[in-house]
This record gives sequence, C-alpha cells and structure tokens, in this order.
Amino acid sequence: MDRSLFMGGLPKTTSRRGFLRACAIATAAMGLPMEMVSKVAEAAEDPKRPRVVWLHFQECTGCSESLLRASHPDLANLILDLISLDYHETLMAAAGKQAEENLDKAVEEGNYLLVVEGGIPLKDGGIYCKIGGKTAVEILKKAAEKALAIIAIGTCAAYGGVQAAKPNPTGAVGVQDIIKDKPVINVPGCPPNPHNFLSTVLYYLTFKKLPPTDKFGRPLFAYGRKVHDHCERRPHFDEGRFAEQFGDVGHRLGFCLYKVGCKGPETYSNCPVIRFNDVEVWPVSVGNGCYGCTEPNFWDTMTPFHKRLPNVKIPGGKGIQASATEIGKAALGVTAAALAIHAGVGIAKKLATGSKSEE
Amino acid sequence: MAAYEKKYVWSVLLRLFHWTFAPSIFILIVTGLYIHWPWTNTWLEGSHQFTMAVMRWIHFIAGMIFTCAVIARLYLWFFGNKYEKIWDFLPITARNVKNLFSTILYYAYLTDHHEERLGHNALAGTAYFFTILLAICQFITGLYLLYPENGFFVSLGSALFGTQQEARFIHYILNWYFAWFALVHIYIVIWNDIKHPEGLISSIFDGFKFAKKEQ
Ligand code: HEM
Ligand code: SF4
Repeated sequence: MDRSLFMGGLPKTTSRRGFLRACAIATAAMGLPMEMVSKVAEAAEDPKRPRVVWLHFQECTGCSESLLRASHPDLANLILDLISLDYHETLMAAAGKQAEENLDKAVEEGNYLLVVEGGIPLKDGGIYCKIGGKTAVEILKKAAEKALAIIAIGTCAAYGGVQAAKPNPTGAVGVQDIIKDKPVINVPGCPPNPHNFLSTVLYYLTFKKLPPTDKFGRPLFAYGRKVHDHCERRPHFDEGRFAEQFGDVGHRLGFCLYKVGCKGPETYSNCPVIRFNDVEVWPVSVGNGCYGCTEPNFWDTMTPFHKRLPNVKIPGGKGIQASATEIGKAALGVTAAALAIHAGVGIAKKLATGSKSEE
Repeated sequence: MAAYEKKYVWSVLLRLFHWTFAPSIFILIVTGLYIHWPWTNTWLEGSHQFTMAVMRWIHFIAGMIFTCAVIARLYLWFFGNKYEKIWDFLPITARNVKNLFSTILYYAYLTDHHEERLGHNALAGTAYFFTILLAICQFITGLYLLYPENGFFVSLGSALFGTQQEARFIHYILNWYFAWFALVHIYIVIWNDIKHPEGLISSIFDGFKFAKKEQ
C-alpha cells in the first residue's frame, strides 16, 4: 500500500502501475467487466483532456479535501492528470480579479465538464452566497449554459446539504433544482468517496455520456445498493448482537451498530465495499454507525444521528439465534414433560395391573 | 372374507414424534436449500425483507423441533411399547433377520409371501434406525454451526465432524439423504397401504392397525 503521503507528501507524477491500479478500481466500481480496464485507461490517457470548471458555493471544501488529501496520491494525481482543471478556487494559483477572468474565459470557450461543490441559496435573491459580487445562482446559471454535463459533488451540491437543513434560512438547494436543461449527475456523500467521483468522470470519458442513475440522480454503480446489505457487521444484525451503547462490551466486540444509530438500513451507497483513504476504513469499520450522508436531506431525516432508526425489524424480534435458542429451550421443556407423562403413565399402569403394559 | 380386529399399535408419543419430525424435515429441506442457494437475493435486495435472516430463523426453529422429535424417538427405542422398541425391528434376532430378507424379496416383486406383523418390518425398521442416527448427526452438525462460540457444541462437533466447514458439508450432504428418505418413505407407505388392508396410513393418525383375527 502506498503510504508515501505520510512520509513525504504527494509525489509529482502517477506511476504506470498506480495509474492502471486506479483505472482497475474505477472499472470495478462502475461494475464494468475487467476487459474494460484498457478502454478506461485509453480514455484516461487521451491527450485531449477534458476541461473542467469547478465551482464552490455554500460548502466546507471537504469534498475537494477528501479527494486531494486522500492518502492515495495516485488517485489525486490521476484525477488532476485526467482533467484540465481550468478553474478551481482552492487549487488554482490565480486569485482575485485574475481568477474571475479565468472563469469568464473558460466559460466563454465552453465545452467543459462543470463540477459543482456546495449548495446554492435562493432566498432574498440569492444574496447569501456571493463571489466577486455575483450571486452563486447567477454564476451557476452562466457556467451551466455552455457545460457538456454537470457533476454535483457532495450532498450540498446534490440536495442542498447542511445549509438546507430545517429551517433552511438561506433557501439553499442543489444543482438539479436550478438547472433543468443539462444532464446533472449527483455524487452525494459528506464527503463522497473520491473513487465514485473518479469513476463517474471516467465513465463519462469512456462512454461520452453520464452513467445510469437512480431516482435521486445518483450513479447506480455506486449508490444502487444499501449500506446494510454490504456491511461486514450484518451477520451480527441478523443474529441480534448489538452494541447497546458506545464503549460497552458489544461495541468492543464489533457488534452491529444499529442500536447506537446506524442508518445503514436506509442508506444507499457502496461505502462498505469501496472504503476510504486507502487504509480500507469506513465509519462502521471504526465503530461509528452510518449517518446516511448520501441520502437527500439526511440532516433532517437521519437525525438524531445516535438514535436508532424506527421501523426496522430485527429478524426474529431479538435476532434469529437468540430467538431460536429461546424457542429451542421451550421445545426441550415440552419434550421433557411429554416423556415424563409417558413414563408416569407407564409406571402407573404397571402398578395398577401388576404387569408391564404391552400397548 | 377374513375377519379383522383393531389393534392399538402407535402410542400418542410416537405419533407426536412422527408429526413433528415429518413437517420439520420438510421445512428444514426447503429453508436449508435456500440457505445453500439464496436464489431470490438479487430481487429482494433493498427491500425491507431480510429474506436470508428469516429463512435461517425458520430453519433454526424447525431444527429445534426436529431435535426434540429425535430425542423423543430415542426414548421410545427403549421405553416405548412393544412395537416401538428397537429390538422389535432391528435385524438382531433370527426372526428379524429372516424378515429383513423376505421383505427385500417381497418389495422387489420376487415373492408374494410376506410375514404379517403389526410393527415395522425389519427393512423399514433398519432404515428408520439409520435415519435416526443420521438425524442425530444432522442436529449435532446443525447445533455446531448454530453455536460456534459454545464450548460444548464446538468440542462435540469438532470431535465428530472436524472443522465448521467439514461439518457444514456433512450437514448439506445429509440434506439430500433426508429428501431422498422422505420420497422413498412416502412411496413405500402408499404402496403398502394399497396392497394390504391393515390401515397403515391411518395408523399414524389414530394409532390403530387391523390384523387378521386369530380363529
Ligand atoms: C432434516 C434436517 C435438516 C436439513 C435437511 C437441513 C438442511 C440444511 C442445509 C441444506 C443447509 C445449508 C448448508 C450449506 O450451507 O450448504 C443448512 C444449514 C444450516 N442448518 Fe440445517 N438442516 C437440517 C437440520 C438442522 C438442525 C436440526 C439444525 C440445528 C438447530 C440446523 C442448523 C443449521 C445451521 C446453523 C445452518 C447454517 C446456516 C448458515 O450458514 O448460516 N439444521 N441446513
Ligand atoms: S445496522 Fe449498520 S452496522 Fe448494523 S449491519 Fe446494518 S449497516 Fe452494518
């Protein structure tokens, strides 16, 4: 595993091995057969790199951070090598007026992928988020005009995110609520997994279209299945073995986190499979339940984060093993009673007739 | 026309054994094969139905009932009535060895002669004997799989069957024995019921068979 980040920062270039590895991971994540790796790599190597304009609105930059500070330098490099990043507030050298000019120029030329990070406030004419004197919604609408397609990265850009939580004081919404005439794909998460973003970009480069999505606009390859259905703690759920509170015996033994608030049973994402940070962790693996951060409005619907979801039936009431054990003990009791009655009747008959009954 | 008389053969406890054993085997085979090959998984995924968990739950409950039924039958081997006791049907007496061979010939349509007896014939009895032994193997492997952290079942299971995976393999193979046994058993019972007026099938419901009245 490449741990060079801890030792010496991002290496400048991606090694061939690292490049192919990232392509293979992305290909697998997209659910494509392995023969496609070469196609994906070809698309990724195309010298005509797609131009990307990356806008930041109401956000914490956590999405960009998780992408770039991923302990997987190959991944960050690949993304940066893959695209020609014409405008990205956090990463570009330009600032102030010069930066605004860059954006205008890029938007003028058109033919770029537009990546949006952060929610867009609409209340009071959108004045709650302004850059260079222009409101977020203005900038977005202008940039969307000549975009080929739009990727909304993170839950804020997709659905409004934390600032859209009740009572949503700034009237924040996601990109799809504003832009209706362009293909918009959502890669939600707080933050989203960098691999899912990479895979979405690679899919677009390979097939020249956005991947199929679910009803919330999320690529099916990444958000098609429930966290709960892939979770490594799922056997504990089925068997009724739970952490009842943080730090108790069940928690230390690695039991299911449902009772301490895990939202896995209601959340669609591939976190347990793809995992994070190149050290193969994800929230549940380090002992905290899933918060449901890939779901629209999770700040409203998934809170309180450490209270259990209502209406999830634990199989067998208290878990199938515990329940079967209880029924087994009862059945054993009934059997013992039946044998005792049988023996009792036999002995009574023998006493009454003085000889052993044959029938 | 021969005269027949009613004879009480199967005790309440034996019939209880039969009617818990038989349906539990049916349920165990259906749910066990699902556990082995969860064919609905990709359709039901994402719904609120935890199909595998429910199948395993039913399997374990049926397994408990199955285990209790076997325990009851083991008791009846030694403390049941004349027909239920093990020496009435195992080929360990001259009478039963003779009966074993004559029954094989009779079932193979090689002879028309057969001994009238009220309990099991020696062939059926031997088959039932081995079925109960295999049922014991099945519940020990089952409990070994179900309680991988229980010292008693783990030492018993691993001493008899090896690793969890080996025990699972035996448990799975025995599944097919029980499926085969159920089919053959039902076929032979119907066959006998058609050929003989003793009331074989009804006897497992009410306990009575019919025997030729001795003049
Ligand atoms: C006639 C009786 C039975 C039949 C036909 C049967 C059949 C099966 C089959 C086909 C499997 C799947 C094996 C595989 O993975 O390929 C299975 C698994 C299992 N059975 Fe049974 N079984 C029987 C009795 C029992 C009993 C008495 C118990 C104990 C209570 C039991 C407990 C289990 C357990 C714990 C598993 C493993 C489930 C898992 O993998 O999670 N079974 N059985
Ligand atoms: S409730 Fe959470 S921890 Fe438990 S199995 Fe589901 S996803 Fe995993």
